[in-house]
Amino acid sequence: MTIEQKYIDWINADIDGEIGQADKVKLDAFLEESAEGRAMHADLTRIGQSLDAVEQLQPPPFLRQRIMNSLPQEQNKGGNFLQTLLANPVLRYAASFVAGAFLAMSVVGSNTISEATFDNMGSLVGTMTDPASLGPAADSIEITSNEIAGTVSLRSTGSMLVLDFDLVSGGEVEIVANYTDRSIWFNGFAQLESSGTSVSAEAGRVKLQMQGKRRYAVFLQNNSGRQTQIDLKFMSGNELLHESTLNYEGAAE
Amino acid sequence: MTKPDDRKLIEQCIKGDRRAFEALLVQYEKPVFNAAYRMLHSPEDARDVTQTVFLRVFENFASYDPSRRFFSWIYRITLNESINWLEKANCLSLVDRETADEGRSPEQQASADETSAGIEAALMRIKPEYRAVIVLKHLMGCSYIEISDVLEIPEKKVKSRLFMARQLLKDELTRTGMHR
Repeated sequence: MTIEQKYIDWINADIDGEIGQADKVKLDAFLEESAEGRAMHADLTRIGQSLDAVEQLQPPPFLRQRIMNSLPQEQNKGGNFLQTLLANPVLRYAASFVAGAFLAMSVVGSNTISEATFDNMGSLVGTMTDPASLGPAADSIEITSNEIAGTVSLRSTGSMLVLDFDLVSGGEVEIVANYTDRSIWFNGFAQLESSGTSVSAEAGRVKLQMQGKRRYAVFLQNNSGRQTQIDLKFMSGNELLHESTLNYEGAAE
Repeated sequence: MTKPDDRKLIEQCIKGDRRAFEALLVQYEKPVFNAAYRMLHSPEDARDVTQTVFLRVFENFASYDPSRRFFSWIYRITLNESINWLEKANCLSLVDRETADEGRSPEQQASADETSAGIEAALMRIKPEYRAVIVLKHLMGCSYIEISDVLEIPEKKVKSRLFMARQLLKDELTRTGMHR
């Protein structure tokens, strides 16, 4: 026997809690008489209950921050952080850069970086005002651990390598950037926020400490322009959270 | 389902207020992620689709009709983006989709009991248009009218599609021994 369409509709409406009172009475009368109707009602009820019982999942950690970070910049601020850093409000970011550099200098041992490192800060900022000199990322990594998430990109502009960090962490995270090419040296640090990230450097290594949502850049002088790689480690205490390598293919001849 | 203060938040979003957008994000992040996850059965894909959805919302506030419910708009974008994603990923075999649990966290894996896993797998074997109506009804808790609004189809069609979707789901569950 085939069940009439109107009863099928009422069975479904009943399961969905969308049946009117009059139709409910008629459906109940039908179900009293029809074993097939009762079987369909029971079947669909079971399936509906199973579906209703499927649990809701929690979105991945940092999804919200990731989405907020992916939104286009406000028009009056224009472009991404690096473009912003290198474009109009030079002085603002130059000030930030200088602050970062002084902070760096205060924690860098005098034996690890020559004073010449900071001698040409003015020309450095001057060079950085040309956004056209900043190409696409030579390499980038995405991190999606529970403790830290976001991206780190490696860019090249002139004789400078720029590590662009766009990260968010729950707790304090230490980031160690190692570069074995001894011709490369740390040449500055800039951050979008006025504080929140600390930096120290020694030959072949830059260490950063951060917590929360941070955007900052580390500048490495790479006069040779040759192929190199930067190994990144993300640590929480002694625990290694993430490890990646960023590759730079070298300047085009 | 639309909260009374959605409208105010949306007005602020249209003016470019990012805090208002973040407030909407807080409110809709979980349902959007879950809708995408049930459509795609992969947490990584659901995460990426969720991000795309909110980016679309952010970029298209100007085209949003405030007389309509916000959740209808965002769920419609979610389902469309999920279906687009599935079409792009069409080269993936069904087996790949069924084993997409690999990317789930241990907590998520542990909490997904056998029945849930069976339902989720069966859902992935029915057509996306039927899956969408099941997701809206049973996982998002939408009424017939709301589903009609989200999918932009008549209420009568919602009922018939929902019935067909359940039948197909039942067949799949029966085939795999999950339903007798």
